[in-house]
Amino acid sequence: MTDHAAFDLPKELAIDTGVARRVIGEFIKAQLQQAGFERAVLGLSGGIDSALVAYLVTEAIGAERLLCVLMPYRTSAPASRADAEEVVRRLGCASELVEISPMVDAFYGPDTDASALRRGNFMARMRMAVLYDRSVTSGGLVVGTGNKTEGLIGYTTLYGDNACAFNPIGDLYKSQVRQLAAAMGVPDRIIRKAPSADLWPGQTDEAEAGFSYPELDRLLFWRIDQRRSVDEVVALGFARELVDRADRMVAGSEFKRQMPPIAKLGPRTAGVDYLYPRRRPGSARG
Amino acid sequence: MLAAMDSIRLAIAQFAPRLGQLETNLARHGEFIEEARTGGADLLVFPELSLTGYQLQDLSADVAMRLDDPRLADLAHVADGISTIVSFVEESDDHRLFIAAALLEEGEVRHVQRKVFLPTYGLFDERRFFAPGDQIRAASSSLGVELGIGVCEDFWHVAVPQALALDGASLLINVSSSPGRDVAATNEVGLGTASSWRTIMRTYAQLTTSFVVFCNRVGIEESISFWGGSEVIAPNGAPIFSAPLYDEGLFFVDIAPADVRRERIGLPLLRDERLELQVRELQRIIRKRANIADDPIDDSRAGMP
Repeated sequence: MTDHAAFDLPKELAIDTGVARRVIGEFIKAQLQQAGFERAVLGLSGGIDSALVAYLVTEAIGAERLLCVLMPYRTSAPASRADAEEVVRRLGCASELVEISPMVDAFYGPDTDASALRRGNFMARMRMAVLYDRSVTSGGLVVGTGNKTEGLIGYTTLYGDNACAFNPIGDLYKSQVRQLAAAMGVPDRIIRKAPSADLWPGQTDEAEAGFSYPELDRLLFWRIDQRRSVDEVVALGFARELVDRADRMVAGSEFKRQMPPIAKLGPRTAGVDYLYPRRRPGSARG
Repeated sequence: MLAAMDSIRLAIAQFAPRLGQLETNLARHGEFIEEARTGGADLLVFPELSLTGYQLQDLSADVAMRLDDPRLADLAHVADGISTIVSFVEESDDHRLFIAAALLEEGEVRHVQRKVFLPTYGLFDERRFFAPGDQIRAASSSLGVELGIGVCEDFWHVAVPQALALDGASLLINVSSSPGRDVAATNEVGLGTASSWRTIMRTYAQLTTSFVVFCNRVGIEESISFWGGSEVIAPNGAPIFSAPLYDEGLFFVDIAPADVRRERIGLPLLRDERLELQVRELQRIIRKRANIADDPIDDSRAGMP
């Protein structure tokens, strides 16, 4: 299925990384320029998604205009922080460490029985709050780091890790993130390690959700990008149970991918019949 | 018609208009016109909606110009001496908005081609904001050749380049704001959109035995990236010039109108077109698609000796 040693890249998902880099680079520059910003800020977890975005932003606008914020919780793996620091060291960008443990623990208290889901969501929203504060103090736009796979299945926290001014990699499946990361020289250890939300020691996305990314990426590609029916993807070799489950996850998370509906009352309503580009004349910061 | 020149120098402005910023874009056009003049261009082509940007949505009405707009007249005056194709939102007397491409010559608006096909599918939503044009006409020009101008999607319908060539054009010009998509590694030059456009434009050049100029913009608007890759293709279907993808630039290309004659003598496809056959069959197909039975009188006549 793959000729790459470090990861599994299904052949139908292979992208032209040169073109992708160029498009994303122009996209990043344009988003900043059209908004009247020169700098960017992002949350660097030590995982591959945010590492890749840090590399892409650096290539587009230079390391001196990027601030990476490391926001570990006390149970976060020390290896994650070490990997994030390695990215910062290699890129030569500015970084800041903001421990979110005091914020999270102050809310839940020491003896909470809050579920891992609640705590994980809260952590993601604390990180968002820190990033938007640093957006002000550093004068940088918050760059999103979510990939297409997690966006489609809804493996994101609304107004948490999915909050951003723009997202350069949101149309790349996880396998494609790995391919592009390898092409850009993201440290091999980050590319190889199992993706994790890092909410508790040893947690991995794939163990928690019961799928492998290359398999899920392929399934989503055929179902969504190539518009294949359930029967057609089953005929391609996907287990019907996996197909049904993925379909449910995609449908169930539609709300996370859209702006909330506004009750239509007036003559012109934002998003309904008041339709302007985000970056219209006069929209840039003066 | 004027005698064709031995050689026509084309200038293709592959650039990124600023969205909704008409005055800025007008100034930018002036700069390109001067640069084209310095470079000795006979014909300068700007991409679709070069004066306004593409993803206008409700800004469309704000940037619309009537054909008698003084800003357009001023631009034509600035361009005097170079046949220049610009594109903008045209507002008609009855306040319909069109995506238009205009040929400016000798200080005036010589010809206007309104976009006939407005894509409203996938990432496109043009029909929501614009009215479709109703004419496909070749334009005579001071270059001594007739021009066949189409706007982006117009050339995704084979009838348009065909009609333009049959109407007399030997230089087909497509002005585009084509958003790039599909970066699968298997695509020619790494971009699915580029592969598709190259295939169809080269095919049109060959089938109409005409020069084809494809002028596509670059730049980013919202989520989409316009990919450039402007081309000039000879009447035998061979690309003469391919601009780089995504780079802004003014590109000069010399073409020899005599190539059209040579190709059409050797490969007389236009001579052999059978328009009456095409019209007859199209009329039958129109009736069939509308579920209208054939006229019985016509049927009886068809059976008479």
